[in-house]
Amino acid sequence: MEETILKVEHLYKLFRSREIGASEETAIEMLQQGLSPAEIRAKTGIVVASNDVSFEVKRGEIFTLIGLSGSGKSTIIRCLNMLHRPTSGHIYVENEDITKYDEEQLMKLRRTKVAMVFQNFGLMDHRDVLSNVAYGLEIKGVNKKERESKALEMVALVGLEGWENKRIDNLSGGMKQRVGIARALANDPDILLMDEAFSALDPLVRNDLQFELLGIQEKMQKTIVFITHDINEAFKLGNHVGILREGEMVQLTTPEEMLANPADDYVRKFIDNVDSTKVLSVKNIMVTPGAMIKAGDGVNIALKSMKSNGLSSAYVVGEHMQFQGLITLENALAVRAGQLNFEEAIIRDIPIIKDIHTPIADIVNLAANARFPLVVVADDGSLQGIVSKAAILSSFSG
Amino acid sequence: MKKTIYVLMTLIMAVALTAGCGGPDKSAEKTIVLSDAGWDSVKFHNAVVSYIADKAYGLKTKVVSGSTPITHTALVRGDIDVNLETWSDNIASYKNDVAGGYIVELGVNFDDNKQGLYVPRYVIEGDEARGIAPMAPELKTVADLKKYSKLFVDEENPAKGRIYGAIPGWAVDEILFKKFNYYGLNEQYNYFRPGSDATLNASIVAAYAKGEPIVAYNWEPTWLSGKLDLVLLEDAPYNEKGFLEGETAFPSVRVTVTANKNLPKKAPEFTDFLKKYHTSSALTAEALAYISENKASYDEAAVHFLKEHSELLDKWLPADKAKSVRSALGN
Amino acid sequence: MEWILDFPSTIRLDFTKQIDAFIAYLNVHYADFFAGLKAILNSVIGGIYQGLELIPWWLLILFVVLLTKKLVGRYRTGLLYGLLMFLIGAFGYWHMMNETLSIVITAVILSLLLGLPIGILISTSVKVNSIFRPVLDAMQTMPTFVYMIPAVMLLGPGKVPAVLATVIYAVVPVIRLTSHGIQQVDKEVVEAARSFGSSRWQILAKVQIPQALPTIMAGVNQTMMMAVAMVVTCAMIGANGLGMEVLIAINRTESGRGLVAGICIVIIAIIIDRLTQSVSAKGGR
Repeated sequence: MEETILKVEHLYKLFRSREIGASEETAIEMLQQGLSPAEIRAKTGIVVASNDVSFEVKRGEIFTLIGLSGSGKSTIIRCLNMLHRPTSGHIYVENEDITKYDEEQLMKLRRTKVAMVFQNFGLMDHRDVLSNVAYGLEIKGVNKKERESKALEMVALVGLEGWENKRIDNLSGGMKQRVGIARALANDPDILLMDEAFSALDPLVRNDLQFELLGIQEKMQKTIVFITHDINEAFKLGNHVGILREGEMVQLTTPEEMLANPADDYVRKFIDNVDSTKVLSVKNIMVTPGAMIKAGDGVNIALKSMKSNGLSSAYVVGEHMQFQGLITLENALAVRAGQLNFEEAIIRDIPIIKDIHTPIADIVNLAANARFPLVVVADDGSLQGIVSKAAILSSFSG
Repeated sequence: MKKTIYVLMTLIMAVALTAGCGGPDKSAEKTIVLSDAGWDSVKFHNAVVSYIADKAYGLKTKVVSGSTPITHTALVRGDIDVNLETWSDNIASYKNDVAGGYIVELGVNFDDNKQGLYVPRYVIEGDEARGIAPMAPELKTVADLKKYSKLFVDEENPAKGRIYGAIPGWAVDEILFKKFNYYGLNEQYNYFRPGSDATLNASIVAAYAKGEPIVAYNWEPTWLSGKLDLVLLEDAPYNEKGFLEGETAFPSVRVTVTANKNLPKKAPEFTDFLKKYHTSSALTAEALAYISENKASYDEAAVHFLKEHSELLDKWLPADKAKSVRSALGN
Repeated sequence: MEWILDFPSTIRLDFTKQIDAFIAYLNVHYADFFAGLKAILNSVIGGIYQGLELIPWWLLILFVVLLTKKLVGRYRTGLLYGLLMFLIGAFGYWHMMNETLSIVITAVILSLLLGLPIGILISTSVKVNSIFRPVLDAMQTMPTFVYMIPAVMLLGPGKVPAVLATVIYAVVPVIRLTSHGIQQVDKEVVEAARSFGSSRWQILAKVQIPQALPTIMAGVNQTMMMAVAMVVTCAMIGANGLGMEVLIAINRTESGRGLVAGICIVIIAIIIDRLTQSVSAKGGR
């Protein structure tokens, strides 16, 4: 889960506008000598889209790239499936340098490992929903029955059952993008590239789709590279966020970190627009409880755990991490003194959060009235983490 | 940059204006409008008459082109003054127009021409120089064609032979078609409509160059009849009634000089000349052959023709006018 | 100062002799090739004509009525077209209509067989496009007779050069619009297809052509219209049919006859136009 699936090293991408004159390589030298992209453009007509960009993406994570128009994000994401050929630099997908691939290998890459979702959907309006979703499989030569069944699966996954045979022009923007996502997923790629995928949708729809994407991600654990110009979106979705300016990576870190420590004024201006409580969610601030004991361990172990961690409570879980409750230092001492039995000492009445994507804004009230930190529990009842009032408070800063 | 453009433009305008101011305005003089229905011989005659109009009478001439029906309509309306080659039997309304007084028949240009069905000479006699053996040695008359339908095979419909007819819509086309039926040729031949004389001539020239058999309508005088060695198939002697039913040979057509009714008033002396304008099919063919051989222009051929046949000037013109033309030629 | 206005006419550029000689050369030395070409075209044209002649008139009318219903959607239009066709027959022009149709259909088939691939080819490359543009312009504007008379010399008069003349003129719209349609396809859709690993050929066949289909069909429609428009010119090089009828009427100044034959040509044009437009409107399924 922690392996690097995508690595970009010193990616340069330059575009020539004139037939004659300086080459892109010369322009790279000029960059390395310290000239700015604006100066280079004035002198040679060469546009610097990506200037020495490097980053790594771990398998299963969502990496968002944010920047204004012209920051190079569209170019960079297109290098990741080689729709643009980098001028210089390397891109490793599962440790293979795709910049060295020939046309056939690239076709294979695009058919099996990397799929893309587009801002304006890129759907074929002469085909219906199902055959759009099945397109990638059709390209691979999968037979009709198989690809239609897989496509139906994907259609259901994105919530469009019943719409398989409708024509594309009958769909709303949000629905069209779901088709786009279904199409990308139908290929079962390891990496999903999303080019401002929700930027063309209105805010309510955008919100829904962001949420759904996270839901799909839970299920399918794809690696996603998502570019956007909306800082809120970037923070909401990304495990890691990279900010681009004029082709250069200005800061690359987690949303919380960026909020807490913006690298420079440019970043600061960006995050000024962020309402962190709406953007940050439980997953950004929850932590693993320091003191955790199994139900059968008994009160002494509980006290020991509390002592060594310097905490005044310990969480009690079952065999498979099933959350059972909390035992306070007070109660534990009472149990040892024989005043209470262990089972009764466990406080079970703790507010529970089921969804790690719940925006912090939504749990503020809950936390304010709670005696103890909120507990995050998964569908199967297992303990995921805890959210303390202090953590909530500190997310307000920045 | 802008200034240079302005200066340049002013210069050009100045030149244009000054150059345009030539001598005195000549448009007050009368212009005679001649008809050109498209074929070579009338263009030649137009050139001859233009030359004389200029040198003898100081008249300017202008030529208006168009197809036969259009130029004839123009003649009747007065947009055209004179047609030097009115093939009177090809124009359906001719007799009526003369009778109604819209047009005036000034005279006959020539009336010794021939038309009918022709075959290249090598079809009958062969051509040793080209290595062609005689293909139809006994072909002499139109009736004889019955024997040779396989020779003149129609490639579009190989079951039958092909006879190239006249230009569809010409009066002669109807008569030729009647002839076709009269001789029973419809059983073995298709009557092929070439559509235009350009197509007809191209077909004949192409076949001739390849030494292939072909039987086609044509007429004299043309550059074609002057240039290629074609034999006219004989037919029954002419009588008017029989001819209209297609039973006889074609008479020579009265190719007349016809003018709009206003011309005699407009240019009386010139009209007198036109009344006397008489050439012959042979002379015309000779001129056309000259043009073809020497790639001459019609004007050059006209000058050559007048030099070669200067006795005609005495027939056409009063003595003093003839003298003016001769001295112009003498230069 | 006059010399500025007169073109330097002492320079007498003249290629005419060479061109004449070249055509004469082709005529004599390549006779077999042209004869072969003529035979092939003749058999196609003849075949279509025979086919049309075999279909009884009422069956053809019925076919048109039903086809109209299917493509346009209304019986009323279908019956109208059937009636108009019946009118052609009533004027006595049924067989001539078939002759004209055999030329038009052959020309359209050839135009599409040539034009669609060329249109696709042009769409792929700016350089190829810039080579073809002036050629296409010439094909549409060069006076027909200029190249038809040599064609008549090489191929004989009649339906064969008529088909060729029609193709030269009528193939241009389908080439232009096919190329244009393909180039106008949404760039993002093409990019999406590429991003899914489509090969060049797959992009062309599965995305660009289907997306461009309405425009391509407009090109096909225009090609058909131009083929019908050439009918009278075809008569001038010896092709029989309604065009010849119009030509005869013109030459005899028989306006009524010309108008009636002309109306029949118009009827054919209207029916073809409406039917092919309906295919275009329904778009690629």
